[in-house]
Amino acid sequence: MKRTPKNLQHSGRLGEVVKKDITPYLVFAIPLTFMAIFLIYPMFITLARAFMPAGNKLAFGSFSLQGFTKFSESLMYRKALVNSFIVSLAVTAFCILIGVPMGYFVARVKMPGKNLMLSLGILPIIMPSFVGAFTWVILLGRQGVVRHFLNIVLGPLGIEVPTIYGMFGMILCMTLTYYPFVFQLSYGAFASANSLLEEAGMLMGAHRWYIFRTITFPLILPSLGAGALLVFVRAIGNFGIPAIIGGDKYVLPTLIYFRVNGFWDLNGAASIAVINVLITALVLYLQKRVINRHEYETISATHSEIKQHEGLTIRIIAIIYCSLVLVISLLPQITIIIMSFYEKWVGLFPEGFTLKNYMRIPVYSRKELFNTFYLSVLATVLAAILGSLVAYITERKKPRGAALLDMSIMAPFILPGTVVSVSLLSAFSGASIIALGGTYTIIVISYMIRRTPYVYRSVAASLSQLNPSLEEASTIAGANWFYTFRRVSVPLIMPAIIGGSILTLTTLLQELSTTILLYSSRTRTVPIQIYGAVADGKLGEASALSVVLLVVVFVIVYAMNRKQGKSIASSFKMG
Amino acid sequence: MSLSLTYKHVNKIFGENTKNPVHALKEVSFTIEPGELFCLLGPSGCGKTTLLRSTAGLESITSGQILYGERDITDIPPFRRNIGMVFQSFALYPHMNIFENVAYGLRVRKTPEDVVRKKVTEVMELVGLTEELKRNPSPTGLSGGQQQRVAIARALVYDPDILLLDEPLANLDAKLRRYMRAEIRRIQKATNITTIFVTHDQEEAMAIGDRLAVLRKGVVEQIGTSNDLYTGPNSAFVSNFIGKMNFFNATLSGPNTATLDKVDVEVTVKANKVRFSDTLDAGTPVLVGARPEQMEVLTKAAEGAVEGVVQIIQHLGQVVRYEVILDSSISEVPLEIDMPGMIEGVGEQDQVFVRLKKGLPFLFKVEDRN
Repeated sequence: MKRTPKNLQHSGRLGEVVKKDITPYLVFAIPLTFMAIFLIYPMFITLARAFMPAGNKLAFGSFSLQGFTKFSESLMYRKALVNSFIVSLAVTAFCILIGVPMGYFVARVKMPGKNLMLSLGILPIIMPSFVGAFTWVILLGRQGVVRHFLNIVLGPLGIEVPTIYGMFGMILCMTLTYYPFVFQLSYGAFASANSLLEEAGMLMGAHRWYIFRTITFPLILPSLGAGALLVFVRAIGNFGIPAIIGGDKYVLPTLIYFRVNGFWDLNGAASIAVINVLITALVLYLQKRVINRHEYETISATHSEIKQHEGLTIRIIAIIYCSLVLVISLLPQITIIIMSFYEKWVGLFPEGFTLKNYMRIPVYSRKELFNTFYLSVLATVLAAILGSLVAYITERKKPRGAALLDMSIMAPFILPGTVVSVSLLSAFSGASIIALGGTYTIIVISYMIRRTPYVYRSVAASLSQLNPSLEEASTIAGANWFYTFRRVSVPLIMPAIIGGSILTLTTLLQELSTTILLYSSRTRTVPIQIYGAVADGKLGEASALSVVLLVVVFVIVYAMNRKQGKSIASSFKMG
Repeated sequence: MSLSLTYKHVNKIFGENTKNPVHALKEVSFTIEPGELFCLLGPSGCGKTTLLRSTAGLESITSGQILYGERDITDIPPFRRNIGMVFQSFALYPHMNIFENVAYGLRVRKTPEDVVRKKVTEVMELVGLTEELKRNPSPTGLSGGQQQRVAIARALVYDPDILLLDEPLANLDAKLRRYMRAEIRRIQKATNITTIFVTHDQEEAMAIGDRLAVLRKGVVEQIGTSNDLYTGPNSAFVSNFIGKMNFFNATLSGPNTATLDKVDVEVTVKANKVRFSDTLDAGTPVLVGARPEQMEVLTKAAEGAVEGVVQIIQHLGQVVRYEVILDSSISEVPLEIDMPGMIEGVGEQDQVFVRLKKGLPFLFKVEDRN
């Protein structure tokens, strides 16, 4: 083979670069710079701080393991670590125990109102979890209505119902908040399984339970694993529930809050954050290993309708079971609506009907309402742009290091909110080069960092489905990169951008765990206001504010479901 | 008026600086005449699509030149090359109606609205979609054949210098495919744009192309008209890719004579059927090639006939195809022999004798035939 002399070839290359369309590279530089400064750099600083002596001094070179040895020295640290483990594992286990049967019943048993059950079953995860927590205070607190009632009934027998405060309450509350992940994902798997596989088993002489054990269950395992991981990641990162009903039982996120808010000990908080992330990463790794061994391609062209159980007994059991789970998990939402119209609720019935709780909102929470919408909408728009661009880069340009880019943008997905705030505070508070403490900017950035994965995943999935020849056809027709991007790529991935953004917006409107460490008097949001009202015992006001939040979130999600008709739970899935 | 398209020593290496570089195009040099409908033919992975995409500018070439007329277009980005391309998947935009799909290239060129209307109407008339244009549905509402026509119209509407068709018929069913290849030829001749048509289907290539190039492993094996390639293949590979060719292992015994291995049958071919240019010494292993219709099946032993066993008999209508197994040292794969009718008294698994018709067989160099 003859080859062009090296120097000639080189000059050819150079000519090409000059004539090439450089707009994409300019456009891509912005999101990549943003990520480097506000994601990678803070993570690095946090990691560095974790190995520095307690305090908030950023002193490179002063190595100390103090932050970590505390886990063996301090009883409080040790307990928080153990509590975090117990709570997240217990919550994951209970969610599976509750969610899998429910998924199976709704998918495989003939019963009325399935769509309603699926819609109601999604509510707990779109509601702010700390709202659920304080309504359980109304129901099962020291003077709680349910506890009150049960004590009247059970008191004479010498049984006293425990209060919501402590481990029991955290586990109960998180389980009822997060079981929908397992329910929805296992429902999807049960409903879409190929019935021919089960029928084949039956023809070979297998019994129903045997088929479930050997065919049905192994095939839904990947979905179940994804659901369980979501539950675990959220449970271990949840701040609101332990902050409100944890009582004296600390977990890692509240411990981080305590270090920052009580002592302004950023280095100490960073150490806890590192431990928290390590646990999450370990669980993620274990889950991937287990699931990868059980991921199957379905090898069949034909797909027949799943047969449903029609026996009367199982139908009755299924309906009672599903209704019971739904009613209990929706109790907080019902309670909160009632509570918002009353002054207090300490006995069996609420007392003093009033609209005052709502009347107070425009007077006392106007700034908070504005901040919540302003911050959430701004962050959502920016996250949508960032997420879409990065997805476009990794999917279409496939640069070297695309996997690294993918990993770093997805990392915040498993980072607890408190960890994100600690890393931003580590890098940008006080006298650092870019000082952002107490500003709107730092909150918007934290929101973007945390929620960009939603848009990114959604758009990346959509782009990977999109045939590149659609874009090539535009290039061939004479359009430059930007024209093609604007007229072909963006319109085609728009549904994915919108889907990811809606999810982002609804979760940001109720964001507490990141904001709690970053807000200043100027940047208070509604969730902060609710948290404060609960702490002050003003449950009526907290309820009214929560109802406002619930209504807004519900309307947005309902509108999206009407338009897109896909399950929200699956949009939370990673990978 | 379209100009010629010339490739000069074009090389394309994927992953040049990696551990496993793939040399997809090797020293490709040839010229496509103005207004010609030229087919690139070859098995999958032969580099035909890479050559097409390099012509479009969607891939950059590693070395060499691509000229349109006299102009070097090697380094011109794809969106400035003024090329029309029809993709295998059609790549129609689901978010635009068919008018906007076709008008796309004109909109890019900021063409005035009245000209856009006129040109779209004209081109839709050319591809036979006047009725559909009136309804103007989304392309997803059209049949496969109609989508294909929209894709062609979209590629033609801005008067491209070159038209590229990347396996455009692969997504259509067999009947429509035969109809559309006649249509494509009609449309190409009506516009007279220099056109490259990529396919892996030799029947399609022979039917549609003015000339074809057969590619193998990034190398152009042979270029010519369908008849050139069928009657005068330059290699065993081309001969068996353009139509079917049976091969016999043989040894050269004279300038145009070879002796079949093992059975000692001597085969003499016409001088123009010796398909290698360099002179080979007597005693060199060669391949004797014969097309299915250049052989016959006999029931009795005869002069120059080789013994074999019938494996399968297929009645194909005009001919009956006999698959006959010979001793594997003569031919590794079963022979395919077409006879004008059934042979009385011969069934599957019967012993028969196979003879090459006089003067028709080819002589090829021994080569790797994959």
